[in-house]
Amino acid sequence: MTGRLVLVPAVLAALVALAGPAPAHHVGAYVPQDNAVTTNFKQVKFSVQAGKFDVAQRLFESGPLRAEMRAHAATLPSGLEDGTRAALAAGDGPEVERRLMIFFAALARDLALEADRQIARPDVTADARVATGKKFLEAIWRYYNLVDFAVATRDNKASVAVRLAFDEAETYVKPAPAGTAPADPAGLVKPLQRIAQVLSTLIESSSMSPRRNS
Amino acid sequence: MIEPDSPTWRVPPRWVLLVAVLSIVAAEVGGGAMARFKVELTRWARDGMLARPGVHGLVGVRDVDERILDEALVKFDAGLRLFHMHAEGMGLVIIATSMVAATVIQNAAARRAIIALLTTGGAGYPVGYLVWSALIPSHGLERSKTIAEWLVWVPFGTATIVALWCLAGFVAWALIAHRRA
Repeated sequence: MTGRLVLVPAVLAALVALAGPAPAHHVGAYVPQDNAVTTNFKQVKFSVQAGKFDVAQRLFESGPLRAEMRAHAATLPSGLEDGTRAALAAGDGPEVERRLMIFFAALARDLALEADRQIARPDVTADARVATGKKFLEAIWRYYNLVDFAVATRDNKASVAVRLAFDEAETYVKPAPAGTAPADPAGLVKPLQRIAQVLSTLIESSSMSPRRNS
Repeated sequence: MIEPDSPTWRVPPRWVLLVAVLSIVAAEVGGGAMARFKVELTRWARDGMLARPGVHGLVGVRDVDERILDEALVKFDAGLRLFHMHAEGMGLVIIATSMVAATVIQNAAARRAIIALLTTGGAGYPVGYLVWSALIPSHGLERSKTIAEWLVWVPFGTATIVALWCLAGFVAWALIAHRRA
């Protein structure tokens, strides 16, 4: 064997190995799953849509959706849980949908309020506040997205306002392109407050009487 | 030069075979332990993450934190699974490639160097997944990946890639020499 014979493949291999940045290693992908509450919501919703109110009621009675309603009773309109059960017992699909819409809108509103509070903390770095804002937005959307259609059919202005505020908030948590200034977390405050305010109004108006404006 | 189609295959050095077999043994033990202690491992990782909320960006709101913890636990589990699969596979790769090197490469120094690279690279690379998993609770997803990358995956993976390219070159050279002869 000549020295050249050893050298050529070695140089070639070194070039291939070192040409780019650190190679991407296969570390698996994460696909977010529904949590217990959203899973139970979908079970109840699909049972109601199929007209199986006895099944929906059983799933509601024994599932985490009802437990979550009880846990958040202090921030929910009074009688939401009892009203949902009564609507299920009466086989009133639109009323079940309205009450579940109120519940998830309240969850999203509470998250928006908490996000607003945490992002305002002065003792946390801007990067950490942006990261926190991003996580809260994901959580808010996870809940709101479940009932957006129901919101839009009852109060399309509220639906559009929430989505616009959400889109605006997202611009503040996207990674800044190279060479540009990092996003200012203070910009998140206004859209988050708008989400909370619109959802509060929606909950209030929807809790009084069912209505449609579409 | 031995002809490429010669039926005489040479066995690689015994220490190479030992390392390869140990890699497969470690993979099997790891896979078994993963299944047997799944709950304990998950609890350990979750407790480690909850003890360092700042590292993982936990915000103290269940609806937000559960997604962060879930992703970290899925990746923790994926690291253990990938160690199991890679250690199993690389053990066989070490045996196969070092056997080709022992058979085809006549130059003793080159043969020793390539077999050493194949063996260390092949046996070391899967350990990166174990390191990654073990560091997730204390260092978070991204930082633990960076550590595993520069401590294990890059050096050992590069050693394997370089050795495989060299081996490919030697095999091709042997083929050309055989045709010329």
